[in-house]
Amino acid sequence: MKLALVELRRRPGRFATATVILTLIAILLMFLGSLLDGLIASSTGAIRAQDADAIVYSDTAQASFVRSRIEPDVRAAVEAVDGVTQVGGIGNVQLGARIPGNGPRDLAGVALFGYEIAPSDVPAPPPDGQAWADEVLKADGVEEGMTIELGPARSPIEIVGFVSDTSFNGQGSLWASPETWREVLSANRPDAQLGPDVWQGLVVRGDGDDLPARIDAATDGATETFTVSGAIDAIPGVSEQSATFNQIIGVTIAIALVVIGLFFALLTVERTSLYGVLKALGAKSATIFSGLVVQAIAVTAIASLVAGALVVVLDLLIPPGSIPLLVTPTRLVTSTLLLVIAAVLGCAFSLRRVLRIDPASAIGTTS
Amino acid sequence: MFLAFKEMARAKVRFALLVAAIALLVFLILFQQSLQNGLITGFIGAIREQSAPVLVYSVDGQRVIQGSVITPPLEELVRTAPGAGEVGRIGQGTFTGVPSGNGDGETFDVTVIGYELASDGEGIGAPSEVIDGRLPAGDGEAVVSDADVPLGFGIGDTVTLQPGGTTIEIVGVAANAQLNVSPTLFASYDTYVDAVKSVNPDAGDPLPNVLGVIPADGFSPAEAVVSVNDQSLDLDALTRDDAAAETPGVAQVQQSFNIIFLLYGLVVPCVTGLFFLIVTFQKANSLTLLRAIGAPAGRLVTSLLIQVVVIIGAGLLIGTLLYFPVSQQALGGVALSFETGAVVFWSVLLLTLGVLSSLVAARRVLRIDPIEATTGQGVGA
Repeated sequence: MKLALVELRRRPGRFATATVILTLIAILLMFLGSLLDGLIASSTGAIRAQDADAIVYSDTAQASFVRSRIEPDVRAAVEAVDGVTQVGGIGNVQLGARIPGNGPRDLAGVALFGYEIAPSDVPAPPPDGQAWADEVLKADGVEEGMTIELGPARSPIEIVGFVSDTSFNGQGSLWASPETWREVLSANRPDAQLGPDVWQGLVVRGDGDDLPARIDAATDGATETFTVSGAIDAIPGVSEQSATFNQIIGVTIAIALVVIGLFFALLTVERTSLYGVLKALGAKSATIFSGLVVQAIAVTAIASLVAGALVVVLDLLIPPGSIPLLVTPTRLVTSTLLLVIAAVLGCAFSLRRVLRIDPASAIGTTS
Repeated sequence: MFLAFKEMARAKVRFALLVAAIALLVFLILFQQSLQNGLITGFIGAIREQSAPVLVYSVDGQRVIQGSVITPPLEELVRTAPGAGEVGRIGQGTFTGVPSGNGDGETFDVTVIGYELASDGEGIGAPSEVIDGRLPAGDGEAVVSDADVPLGFGIGDTVTLQPGGTTIEIVGVAANAQLNVSPTLFASYDTYVDAVKSVNPDAGDPLPNVLGVIPADGFSPAEAVVSVNDQSLDLDALTRDDAAAETPGVAQVQQSFNIIFLLYGLVVPCVTGLFFLIVTFQKANSLTLLRAIGAPAGRLVTSLLIQVVVIIGAGLLIGTLLYFPVSQQALGGVALSFETGAVVFWSVLLLTLGVLSSLVAARRVLRIDPIEATTGQGVGA
């Protein structure tokens, strides 16, 4: 093992090309993963932030707020479910926002939520005409104390502060009182306005793992109820995006495995006679192979380190609002671990060759 | 050439590993190319394939049809713009729909695009071309995108929108005319309005989302755009192609995939170049000996290049064969298709880059001095 590390230190050039290739593959893995994380985060933040045990939509809404209608009698049925402790209405409308100081055609996309139960890290609903804004809207020029105008009706909303990680459908969110939301909805989207006490969805707190099922049973199937994580997965496109990206990431890891296997197989062939000498001197196959594994892990770790740094730089260079990249330590570490596993497995290609080396072959070799 | 093939036959595993790596990379690149094109077509195909040369959004809509609302004063401004000839209302909504042709009774997110029908079934915003069946002749009829037919949206099938139960019969099929990567129905404007009201009894009269404009005589689409936009800062007119390209999300999808393609494209020549460089080092002594007994350097380089072309060619072939069945599938509602142009483009590019990357190894071969056969040194020295 020591020999392997000494070789890495004294002849780094021998491993340079493999490191470059692995760096590219590591960048790919981290970029793809961060892109997936960014897409999911920007679509689901508002749901993820819900401090709830269940989210209720009408049965035909396909987990879409704008297609969901919860009538007062349905809400009453939900409130009467055994184990339900708190029920709050929620609704949203997506509109363009005019920001003071921006050009007349330079609008920011916002999702205005009206809510009764405050999500995690979102304060209680502010007075009418005011809203908490997601901090991603700062990139569009939104500031605390500013009044922005929503939609074609130019509905004024004063920003009273910022919250984080509550984006929805790729748009920064605003969190306002139910009355404010209803007023803005009716003024700007008459086709989507709702009657008094009608909500798009319900946020429910209560007990029991079967709470969603009990709610749907109590409403005679008029609702489709999810846990928070279930509601996230049910957002149209989320599970499909995850599945597709994860498949691509999986094949990319397989490529890394093959590349590492190829590189170390070639390296082993090149050093067969040297390994013969080592074996003749008493080195075990396990020692030689573990040296290869150590080199593979070291090369992969260096490549991952460089790739991680480059992805972070890329994230900083990408202007806000373009590619939805979310670089997290978890993603970088996970990608590195996957690559290390691929590296160890890739080395296994060389194991058979190492085991086959005959110490007697050392006799008469020149190199 | 004999030498090149003999060597490959005797070191099957190492060459097979390289072929496998290249094949996987080619497969991934082609698959993602199809995914990108399928996503974009599914996302904005309906905009490309509708008949209005100019679409007018409200600025508030930010170039999303469903997000745009054209108020009556704005509509009047468009109709009186000098560059606007004929103007038609277009509405769009997303509904929960159950197609009768789906045996499982599956529900779908269904996009309904309503346009004002002319007496002949044509209309501003209608599908440009119907590949099967006909255009709607009245309310309650629709043309569907071809990608939706296998999901149970065939001609003669009906789609029931929930709740409310509005029923729309499919009478025609248009190619690549999806919107929002969901089954898309082109119907009369009144059908769209009925659909909105049936699913939401509280709804007021829906306003048109966008206006389709046919430029006035003497105006090109680009000139009509300028003319309409001059009417108000709240109007956002775009030519059909610009409306498709500038739909939010399209540019981001393209940018993301371009970065991914660039990285994959770099990995292929790197892997190939590394492989042949190491192999050249490994057989240094043999190459020196061959040179000493009279083998010209050109022949050795040719042998190397033949191996490069054969290996990359095999990788391209296997990668394409892996890609073919996948390209016939739909992935999460995105219809994939076999992209012949992409196969040709990437084959030429990767082969060229692969050959270029092997030139480092070729240079090593050319530097071999036959006299070193007498000293035991080779290119690796």
